[in-house]
Amino acid sequence: MTTKVGSGPSWRGRLRRAVGHPKVAIGGVMVLFFVFVAIFAPWLAPNNPNAQDLMATLLPPAWDAGGMAQFPLGTDSLGRCVLSRLIYGSRIALLVAVLAATGAMVFGSVLAVLAGYLRGRFDTTMGFLVGLWLSVPPVVFSMLLMVGLGTGVRNVILAVVLVDWTRFYRVVRAEVLVAREREYVQAARLLGFSHWRTMTREILPGVLPLILTLFSLQMGVAIIVEAILSFVGLSVPSDVVAWGVMLADGRDQIYQAGWTLLAPIGGIIFAVLAFNLLSDGLRVTLDPRLQKRS
Amino acid sequence: MTHPVLQFSGVQVVARVGKQEVALLRQVDFAVGKGRTLGLVGESGAGKSMIGRVVAGLLPSNLRFAAGRVLFQGERLTSAAARGYLGKRIAFIPQEPLSALNPVLTIGQQMLEHLKRVGVARAERNQYAQAKLAEVGLPEPAQILSRYPHQLSGGQCQRVLIAMAFSGDPELIIADEPTTALDVVTQVQIIHLLRHIQKKYETAVILITHDLRMAAHVCDDVAVLYAGDVVETGPARLVLEQPCHPYSWALKQATPSLHGNLHELPVLPDLMPGLRDMVELRGCRFAPRCATRNVECESHVHPLEAVGEGHYIRCASACRIQENVQTKVLPQRSSTVVAGASTLLELHQASMRYTIKRADGKKAYFDALKPLDLSIRPGELVGVVGESGSGKSTLARIMAGLVQPTGGEVRVSGIARQGASTQQLEHMRQTVQMVFQDPDSALNPRRTVESLMTQALEIQAGITAENRREQALRLVGQVGMAPDALQRFPSQLSGGQKQRVNIARALCAAPQLLIADEIVSGLDVSVQALIMNLLLRLNRELGIAVVLISHDLSVIRYLCQRVLVMYRGSVVEQGETDTVFSNPRHPYTRVLLSSVPPDDARANWPPAQGSLEAQMALAESER
Repeated sequence: MTTKVGSGPSWRGRLRRAVGHPKVAIGGVMVLFFVFVAIFAPWLAPNNPNAQDLMATLLPPAWDAGGMAQFPLGTDSLGRCVLSRLIYGSRIALLVAVLAATGAMVFGSVLAVLAGYLRGRFDTTMGFLVGLWLSVPPVVFSMLLMVGLGTGVRNVILAVVLVDWTRFYRVVRAEVLVAREREYVQAARLLGFSHWRTMTREILPGVLPLILTLFSLQMGVAIIVEAILSFVGLSVPSDVVAWGVMLADGRDQIYQAGWTLLAPIGGIIFAVLAFNLLSDGLRVTLDPRLQKRS
Repeated sequence: MTHPVLQFSGVQVVARVGKQEVALLRQVDFAVGKGRTLGLVGESGAGKSMIGRVVAGLLPSNLRFAAGRVLFQGERLTSAAARGYLGKRIAFIPQEPLSALNPVLTIGQQMLEHLKRVGVARAERNQYAQAKLAEVGLPEPAQILSRYPHQLSGGQCQRVLIAMAFSGDPELIIADEPTTALDVVTQVQIIHLLRHIQKKYETAVILITHDLRMAAHVCDDVAVLYAGDVVETGPARLVLEQPCHPYSWALKQATPSLHGNLHELPVLPDLMPGLRDMVELRGCRFAPRCATRNVECESHVHPLEAVGEGHYIRCASACRIQENVQTKVLPQRSSTVVAGASTLLELHQASMRYTIKRADGKKAYFDALKPLDLSIRPGELVGVVGESGSGKSTLARIMAGLVQPTGGEVRVSGIARQGASTQQLEHMRQTVQMVFQDPDSALNPRRTVESLMTQALEIQAGITAENRREQALRLVGQVGMAPDALQRFPSQLSGGQKQRVNIARALCAAPQLLIADEIVSGLDVSVQALIMNLLLRLNRELGIAVVLISHDLSVIRYLCQRVLVMYRGSVVEQGETDTVFSNPRHPYTRVLLSSVPPDDARANWPPAQGSLEAQMALAESER
């Protein structure tokens, strides 16, 4: 996936222009903040996320009457600091988002480019397989996979990849079908390009903005899927802090202590929005087809 | 007192560019009376279609009607009123007949819907639709009504659209390049039809076109537009015979003639100004490209001045252009062929046959190309003409090696393509290169000009970035572009520049034969002239042979020594271009030649419909 688009100086120019785009700027700052929090969680969190204080359960946020300054966002039913758990939860979210989205992207896009470019029997077989794959409800499918694979972060990532690669496959293949009919593909063949080189140099760069867009969307989806799986108790062991676990824990006290739910929901929304904004902005700015004549 | 049907006086349409306003239409005045035809002539970007939008009341929201009046039948035409009149009192005939019809509805559904809007009573609609379709010369109208657009030809679709346009009994028809997307022969038929119905109903017609010659024959009056200015207007024949504005003159000169001596086509420097350039141009917008400009031209706009009976131009140096520019008569073509040299490319009974599975399970065959012998010698310029579906693109693809013929064989420098070794194939690829038709599709939008031009080097071993840069600089010079274009992307180039990059890419492999498939047909006439001169120069300086596929006879005559006329998959006539064009043997060649609007403004064109059809019938029987 490291195809060079264009050459040296224009890359830098495009990057500079990309950063100037409001969506890229806002999304980028949000993503950076998210990554920063995940990396520096031990220094940022005021408490140990798993330390229980049974004398201080279900405390409201610090600014509310009865809140304690020690727990800025209050505590959950076991007296654990909600803010610390929110901060530590971003680590699992980021890990799953990046690895699962990358896996689905590589797996789905490679198959899509091959099938869309080569067509023939390979494409037909793949079409049938994907049809079959998509006929299984995704949530049920991922839960079944988790039951089969067992819990753990690695298996969550694997489950997301196995369920969601079809999203990449279908969309990218459709784009490849359009791209392969372009005359520049024929021109490249006439200049003596091999099939492999035509795919990587002529087809792939054309579908890369689309892959980028899907990639960031997929990061958001992966975060949501991980939360759902944690919520039903099929994701990570209970000593691992994850936003889905927080949701599941907070559900019983939804009326008494809504903040225990609002914190992870806020985290999920923030992360998904950040990735979506960034990708949308990048798609617009990295695509030379959208560049104006100067 | 009678009013003109449509009158523009001092119309100005402005767009915002940053903090400034730019006039896209400046002081546009014209009028078209009942039963008259006005031609709006100009290249893309001249503002022709903008006028249509003003009449329809459909200006894009970023544009503003700033000044002037549009009068329709003597009344002020507001955009709300215009939208109410659309289809009823004002009708449009679009450029692309196939995309103007909805592909998922039958012709009948679309036509009846239109008749409903026009106000034909429900009980009469079907009858009325059939009558209208019969009027535009479509046989068996009842059958046509049940068909879908893709089941009809482009010409038939355009006839349907003309029938729809006239079904509301409009007072004004605006035809926006109605024949550009059609074959030459169909083009004549459509023009003929339009003229015929217009006369019958005394409709006023505005014909928007880029073809000055056609406009001169079809229209009563023409207005030549350049960058939003009417630069010349007058009786159609007069404007073609004695164009007085330097731009109209250049427009006329840029289309090669079908008769007489060949002159080297003059090329206007630079480009028509875009929106941003117009901000800078206070005076005459043609001034930067004009050979007769003076200091005054750049600072103020000249008013329209009469130079003859009803003939006005907007220029300070009226009618002096011809004296200042000398055109070179081109030498005889046959001299460039290297005598006695071996053939570059040979076709032996090469053919292309497709097998079609019919609905009843039986197999049917379609011959895209019937067995054909052809040889191309080094340095030769060969033209192939024919309508769409005549097999000329199939021939090009076979010659380039993009497809294998289903019968016969292709030899490159004496070696058969089938059964050639990898090394030999590599050599053939270098010998024969193809330039594709549509530069927008043929250039990968993600590569820079430098990367595109030197694409052929990418697969060679030991090529450094410096090598590529050197080669790119050489190629950029060969096709006449500035070196600073190398770092641009195709989307930042104009149509003519893209086509030059397209040619340069093929040149990078140092070929001896270029197959050029309709490479000038999508371009504006002045850009077309530039590309044609480039091909001639490449042939002269590098000795490259060119096979030029085109539907435009004047282009073929300008470039090629030898011509092949194709009709329904076979070559019906071939020989020296001048011989074939001055003394055509096959009826189809005669039809093609009579379909081209002649230079002589007084010649009778379009030809009588009967004679054309008789020739076509003859062509059909002789093939």
